[in-house]
Amino acid sequence: MDSELQSDWIGSQCLRLSVRGKSFERKVAQLLQDKTEDLKCFVEGKKDLTCFWEVEEERNLHDRYTFMYSYENEKKMACVVSSLSLRASNKTVLFCKLPQALFFTPLNVQVFRYGQILYNRIFNVENVLLLDPPSNLTVMSSGKEGQLNVSWLPPPLKHMDDSMIYEVRYAVEGSHMGKVEKVKASTTLVLRGLQSDTRYEVCVRVKLDGVAYDGYWSSWTDPVFAVTAPTDMDPLIVLLVLFIGLILCLLSLTLILSHHKFLLKKLWPDIPTPEHKFPGLFTVYKGDFKEWMSQNNGSMWGRSVHVYTEELPSTVEVLSEVSLTNYSTSPREGRKPAEKEEGSERTDSALMGGWREPPHAQWLMEQLRALQENPESFSQSTLLQSHDTYVALNQNSQRVQGDTEKQVDDVFEETLPLQTFFTTTGTSSLSASHSDLGSLPQSSGSGRLSSQCSFEYPNHTWPPKGPGYAYMAVADSGVSMDYSPMSSSSIAELGKRGIYTNEYKNEIFAHKWPFSCQHIESGY
Amino acid sequence: MWISVGSVAERSKALDLGSSLSGGLGLVSVLIVFVWLGGNQVSPLRPICDLRVLDHFVREARDSEVIMRGCRGGCGVLKSYFVPLTRVDFAVWEHIDVQSQAVEVQTGLSLLVQALSRAKITVSNSPLASTLDNNISNIHSLGQILHSLDLQQARSTVLPDDSAPASSQMQEVSSLPELLQVQSSFLRGKVRLLLSAAPACQRQNS
Repeated sequence: MDSELQSDWIGSQCLRLSVRGKSFERKVAQLLQDKTEDLKCFVEGKKDLTCFWEVEEERNLHDRYTFMYSYENEKKMACVVSSLSLRASNKTVLFCKLPQALFFTPLNVQVFRYGQILYNRIFNVENVLLLDPPSNLTVMSSGKEGQLNVSWLPPPLKHMDDSMIYEVRYAVEGSHMGKVEKVKASTTLVLRGLQSDTRYEVCVRVKLDGVAYDGYWSSWTDPVFAVTAPTDMDPLIVLLVLFIGLILCLLSLTLILSHHKFLLKKLWPDIPTPEHKFPGLFTVYKGDFKEWMSQNNGSMWGRSVHVYTEELPSTVEVLSEVSLTNYSTSPREGRKPAEKEEGSERTDSALMGGWREPPHAQWLMEQLRALQENPESFSQSTLLQSHDTYVALNQNSQRVQGDTEKQVDDVFEETLPLQTFFTTTGTSSLSASHSDLGSLPQSSGSGRLSSQCSFEYPNHTWPPKGPGYAYMAVADSGVSMDYSPMSSSSIAELGKRGIYTNEYKNEIFAHKWPFSCQHIESGY
Repeated sequence: MWISVGSVAERSKALDLGSSLSGGLGLVSVLIVFVWLGGNQVSPLRPICDLRVLDHFVREARDSEVIMRGCRGGCGVLKSYFVPLTRVDFAVWEHIDVQSQAVEVQTGLSLLVQALSRAKITVSNSPLASTLDNNISNIHSLGQILHSLDLQQARSTVLPDDSAPASSQMQEVSSLPELLQVQSSFLRGKVRLLLSAAPACQRQNS
């Protein structure tokens, strides 16, 4: 009695039954899907009670079947049997429209086939109501976001409309996901939670609630389409967002301004200038370093030399690859050109007078002269490439000759032919520019050699005016070799300062090494 | 001691009696006043137009049918009951005026009450007995509802047992299940139609 038809909702669309035309045919076709009863009966309203059954044969139907019905306490009555062909499903039904529909009383219906009872059913008519779908379905946007107002009219049945329930099905047009809303005792509905600015289709169907009356779901109404309202920005939200953004901006601005110096330093750092190391160089002397140097003897170089002295550990020894045999011959060769020059005699004499000349000192001087004349070639050929130039200061060798002869010999074996010697204060007759150099060692040297060495050129000023020489003070820290270029004018200072450091270093290494320092001359 | 106690007890008793008497008199007087007021004055009841009350009664009548179906023993004896006709032909019913409808409904309800009361005597099954009690009280409430709607016409018509059901508005059933079925149909049909069409409620709705 309370059987429910399967929904004809396919996908998301309110699918109408393919059978068009009369609602009666539609209802018969719809009820055919109900499998609970073979003899199906329905009443369309307060009257029009119909019972039908499916048949397969097509001919002479009226002869075979008999339909009888009887209400309670009444006699049986016959009903005229008619046939109906359903085009859509290609089926044939026989039906009987009962003349009288009495509610709230049992009804007994029977179908006879060739006099034999085929179907027998007892039911109350108020329990088989199959109504027409609701009418006047209207769907409108309510103006609010994601809402639709749905309203419809119930089937015009007095006394029954308060027993009706509805189902509203809605879906986005074209989608396969639909939702159903059940409605009781009302013919309007507000759909909420919809997507904004979207086209929806809506349809409705009706049924009796089953308390006083019962029946089957009606067919769905034709779909009605409506578009939901577009999203509108809540002005309050917009305002709040703007306000918060403004506050954040102000905060960040305040932060930046309070730390702008720090930020500037980090993002746009100043190019470091060495101005602070050279006080007055750029302001007073306009970048003239020589002038500045001459004026600022003490303070500046104390610092730099201090720096330098940190890098000046001790002696450096550069060994030559020239063998001793060559070594012996070369001075002889060197002697010859040396004799030609004027200063060579003086130099020799100075050398001779100054101290005990090392055996190859003559050759050394010749080499130096040759270097002066032809510095480029010399440098290329001899000085740097073969590491022939070697400046060794061996003042210690004089003094401790007696004691450390072996050491000296060892040194000589190791040393390169080129040796510089250390001028005493007495030999100030040498070039004026070397006077400073000359003044270097003796004053401090209480027998100590300073590691400062200098080349001594009799005729040439030092530094030469021709191609500039870069003198590299080679400092051996005991482990590594440091080569730091210096200008020639700084050598004097170096020499002076070097005393202290070298003294220090000497003390450490004196017993090991003959004190030697080297200048490696590089012409350029 | 006994005498003193006894005297005290007697005195307390006397006091108690006196107080109770005075209280009772006061209460009774109040009640009398109310009854007089209630009896003399026709206090208009608010019309009960909500059909959900009736729906509730209908469901309880259906519950009785269900219990009856599941009853095994002590479910009453076969007896003939006079019950109202329940069939409704809308074509006919809607042409009957409301007052006639009301008469029919009231008569039917009284018949049902009588039948149910008679049936309940024979029932020993407790669930069935209780649900029958429910039904009886529900029908009484329906009478009140009809009274509120000014539809209380002919009050309970007590039929003599030997008289035949000559009235076309009556039928005879021979078992309790049938009786319950009739009750259910009657409530869902005629009673409901009357209540939904009551003029008092129509005035409210319009």
